[in-house]
Amino acid sequence: MHPSNGRAAADAFLTVRGLRKTFGDEPVLRGVDLRLPAHRTMSVLGRSGSGKTTLLRLIAGLERADAGTVVLGGRSLDGVPARERGAVYLYQESLLFPHLSVRENIAFGLTLGAHRGRDLDGEVEAMIDVLGLTAHADKRPHQLSGGQQQRVAFGRAVILRPKLLLLDEPFANLDAAIRTQMQDLFQRLAAAYQITALFVTHNLKEALLMGDRLAHLRDGILKTYDSRQAFVDDPVVGVRDEMAFWTALREETS
Amino acid sequence: MHAPSASISRAQAIVAALLAAVCLVPFAYLAALSVADPWTFPALAPEGWSLARWGRMLTGAGALGPSLSLSLSLSLTVAIASTAAGYVTGKFIAYHPWRRRLLVLAYVPFVMAPVILGVCLMYLFLRMRLAGSVAGVMLAQTMFAYGFSIIFFNAFWSARLKAMEDLVATLGGTTAEAYWRVLLPVSVGMLLICFFQTFLISWFQYGLTLLVGAGKVQTLPLKVYDFVSEANMYYAALASCLLVLPPVALLWVNKRFVFRQGLGTT
Repeated sequence: MHPSNGRAAADAFLTVRGLRKTFGDEPVLRGVDLRLPAHRTMSVLGRSGSGKTTLLRLIAGLERADAGTVVLGGRSLDGVPARERGAVYLYQESLLFPHLSVRENIAFGLTLGAHRGRDLDGEVEAMIDVLGLTAHADKRPHQLSGGQQQRVAFGRAVILRPKLLLLDEPFANLDAAIRTQMQDLFQRLAAAYQITALFVTHNLKEALLMGDRLAHLRDGILKTYDSRQAFVDDPVVGVRDEMAFWTALREETS
Repeated sequence: MHAPSASISRAQAIVAALLAAVCLVPFAYLAALSVADPWTFPALAPEGWSLARWGRMLTGAGALGPSLSLSLSLSLTVAIASTAAGYVTGKFIAYHPWRRRLLVLAYVPFVMAPVILGVCLMYLFLRMRLAGSVAGVMLAQTMFAYGFSIIFFNAFWSARLKAMEDLVATLGGTTAEAYWRVLLPVSVGMLLICFFQTFLISWFQYGLTLLVGAGKVQTLPLKVYDFVSEANMYYAALASCLLVLPPVALLWVNKRFVFRQGLGTT
């Protein structure tokens, strides 16, 4: 074993070993291994259909794996239902509850059995403030823009201080400017709330921006990288091709 | 420049008034006939007006009161049972790998007319001693309305709602909390519409009720037909008014509480 891998295994907060999933006759994940230390974000880059969403759903407990184990914070999640895992899933769509206001959406998780008894009002108001949504707190989701809706979805997840945040291309439906704002917001929240997260995306730039750990998922096989340099140097990832394209464009236009 | 648009709106108003008249005149005529005292051909108007028939109906004469209560309780039970069962079954089928095959089964009651369905069920109902009973009519109507309800809700349960349910689970909620706090509030408009539709299916049911009820279960549509065949036009009009009132009330409720509050919440 590589020395750095051994250290990573010892420090790992999330450990996934040999995760396999087949739908019908089609294998989607073929033995995925990954280790992620606490308070770090791993970007998982992959094309559509590469198994990214399945990987997150298995870790969240929304699908049952054919084989493999998931250990989170030293606890095996085998047979643990989704509601007891402490892993919150964030979707491409904000999925705000349409009958609730912004404030009620953000407070939603705190009012469920698992979190009752916490200082609801204080935490919710603080989160609304952090998200910059004070003026919109009493609005319904349909009165918000796409970016604001996704901010509320982040707040609703982060306020629970989950052990793990699973982000399934949460910015894919946003335009470029809002996407940049949201990436910045996520990085601020991740630092402030010491979030451990798996961030899947098909966007190369976003993967590099969001993750301090990097991985590439292709045909159900996950490859993790020890450094950004190793990620950039791997021809399968496509960073070199991207850089060559922009360099050629700069030379052509200068 | 404003004149043409004003004339267009006047024309629109006239057409709208004509359409409203076409829709409302038959009901107004029925209401007038139910209080006419008497109204014989070739008189253009009744000789007088009287609420005596409505009073007799309220005091039990003509058995309209019991028919009204029977129809109301029958239709409310059928609507509640088929809406609740269709909500749950529609979800089960919508997320089932054999969705299409299972959905075909729900269409079976619609492939045949209600009367044909009644004929098919008759032997079974006779063996179960349900023929000629309120319970038998209720069961037969529910089978028909249940199929409608499944098809109605099958289209409602989407990947988005499934994702919402999953999201509640990852936020720490139980299945009961997902239903009570999210799915039911989001579904309330669709539940009301389905309740309304299944109520109407049962309320206006004639052939199936006559066949399975063997003429012993005297719902309002059967009463109307009886009065018409007896050439008792005043009581037929009164029974028809009673037949129309609950759907009108439900339509008002739907308009007031469903469409105004927005189906768009889903």
